[in-house]
Amino acid sequence: MTFFTGGFFWFIQGILITVIVLAFRAWMEDRNVKMFWWKWLLWGVWILTAGFTIAFIFTSLGEGEPTAAVKGGIIFSLITIISGAGIWRLINKKN
Amino acid sequence: MDRRKFLKTSGAAGAVAGSVGLGFFGYEAGRDPDSYTGWKNREGGFQTFNRIKWAVEKPTYQKTGPSRRVDARTEVVFSRIGPLFRNWKEEDGTSSLPEYLKKFYDSNPEVLELDLRIKKELFPKLRKDREKYNNQFILAEAWSDAMGAVWPEHSQEPPEIADFPERKDQKQLTMKSPEKTSKLIKKIAHQLGSTLVGITKLNPDWVYSHPMRRRGIDTDKPFEVPKHWKYAIVVGVPMSWDPMFANPNYGTSHDAYAISRIISVRLSAFIKQLGYAARPHTPGTEYDLMVPPILVDAGIGEQGRHSIVVTPELGSNFRPAIITTNIPLKPDKPIDFGVQDFCKACKVCAEQCPSGSITKGDKVEIRGYKRYPFNAASCHNFWYSKLGNMGCRVCISVCPYTRKANWVHKAALEITAHDPTGLADKALTAMQKIFYPGPDPQDYFIPSLGGKNASYRKPPWWLRTEDFIDI
Repeated sequence: MTFFTGGFFWFIQGILITVIVLAFRAWMEDRNVKMFWWKWLLWGVWILTAGFTIAFIFTSLGEGEPTAAVKGGIIFSLITIISGAGIWRLINKKN
Repeated sequence: MDRRKFLKTSGAAGAVAGSVGLGFFGYEAGRDPDSYTGWKNREGGFQTFNRIKWAVEKPTYQKTGPSRRVDARTEVVFSRIGPLFRNWKEEDGTSSLPEYLKKFYDSNPEVLELDLRIKKELFPKLRKDREKYNNQFILAEAWSDAMGAVWPEHSQEPPEIADFPERKDQKQLTMKSPEKTSKLIKKIAHQLGSTLVGITKLNPDWVYSHPMRRRGIDTDKPFEVPKHWKYAIVVGVPMSWDPMFANPNYGTSHDAYAISRIISVRLSAFIKQLGYAARPHTPGTEYDLMVPPILVDAGIGEQGRHSIVVTPELGSNFRPAIITTNIPLKPDKPIDFGVQDFCKACKVCAEQCPSGSITKGDKVEIRGYKRYPFNAASCHNFWYSKLGNMGCRVCISVCPYTRKANWVHKAALEITAHDPTGLADKALTAMQKIFYPGPDPQDYFIPSLGGKNASYRKPPWWLRTEDFIDI
């Protein structure tokens, strides 16, 4: 077990995601955008999609499957970008 | 509730949840198989799939008619090839063969043609290509030989002698309960190095009607299943993952074969010390029975399109051995985690099989059971149509279930097992074909047969001869 596959890594990740949530909330407050629960839900789904894409690419590289990394990277990145644009339009509404 | 109060309540709930979580974390960390340095894979921590959840009363093969036991002398390719090559005289045809073999080949001329092709066509071409290209497989062959160097010999005595404790005054100890004995046997099997363990009552249909030679049994007479073969214990390990993905030439069966063989011989010795009968049936060819259906009965996995048993933890990368015994045990139940539906749609193994031995069609009735047909003779032909280590194993490497246990593949397994619609099977099969493609199956052959000595994946760095030896 290395640092990145151990429990302490996920502890650090938990702290980082908390900071990201607080920062995002502050940023949206500055933009005068109200964050309803469903906006947080969409935001969470997008964060998971983006995280999945990054992890998939590097897991595939790690297990010696560069084709899966490239093809999966392209497909999942497109999904992440397109869904990100759509979700941003919904979240960024002022009311 | 105002915002501040909500925040405080959430904080308190979080503290409780966090503390409970830390408790669970601590307990799991304390007993984590990873903490058993040097013995972590002997703690049973890798048999992780919740089999009880997927247990079924009946195995996922179907009995559709009167059954017939296999005659290993003729129907197992490894048994018939030796006598064929030793006795064959071109001018006399099948008349040059022992009666049982003549009868078999007269009824199956297409099998005779394939078996003789090895001698007539494949050996000469293989010899020629071996001289020219085989140096790149020197390290792979050395690895295989190293793993096969420890290979305990079996008794040549018949079951009524070989299976029982050597000491005549050895008392049969009274076991407290079959449940406790099963738990004990499984723990011992794991401690001996077995990745997966399962137990079933032995179905006599799986015992050869005429077993293989060199097992102390008169193979010319129909074999009566010994009364003390009441239960079958399945043990086994995977082949080393990186060479396995570089099949058909860099991988080897010997690594897992030797380990499974040692485990089964040791477990038999353990059972005999308790005063009971035990007989190991092991790879390479020292079996008195068919192995795959016993694995299905014992809940180890399900038989796939390629005839190999697919396990949840290791996919098809599992090399088993069986111990038949009379020690009272509690059998496990078979499992159904969706392999039948998946194999129906997938067909990756059939598409990648260089010899076309795996059907792309439906199941048919074979010896009273419905299953996918498999052409063992053409499969065996391919073993002599490629370089590197003996055997092929491409169907094992390309099976979508055969994946290392990282989060991607664990998630895929859970999705297929839980999806009742079949949509996940289709999506994951498509992903398998797009993300994990193999070479053109023709490329697996030697150049003399129109191939390129290809492997499914590149060999691991430690088997690349050209990086270590001047060739």
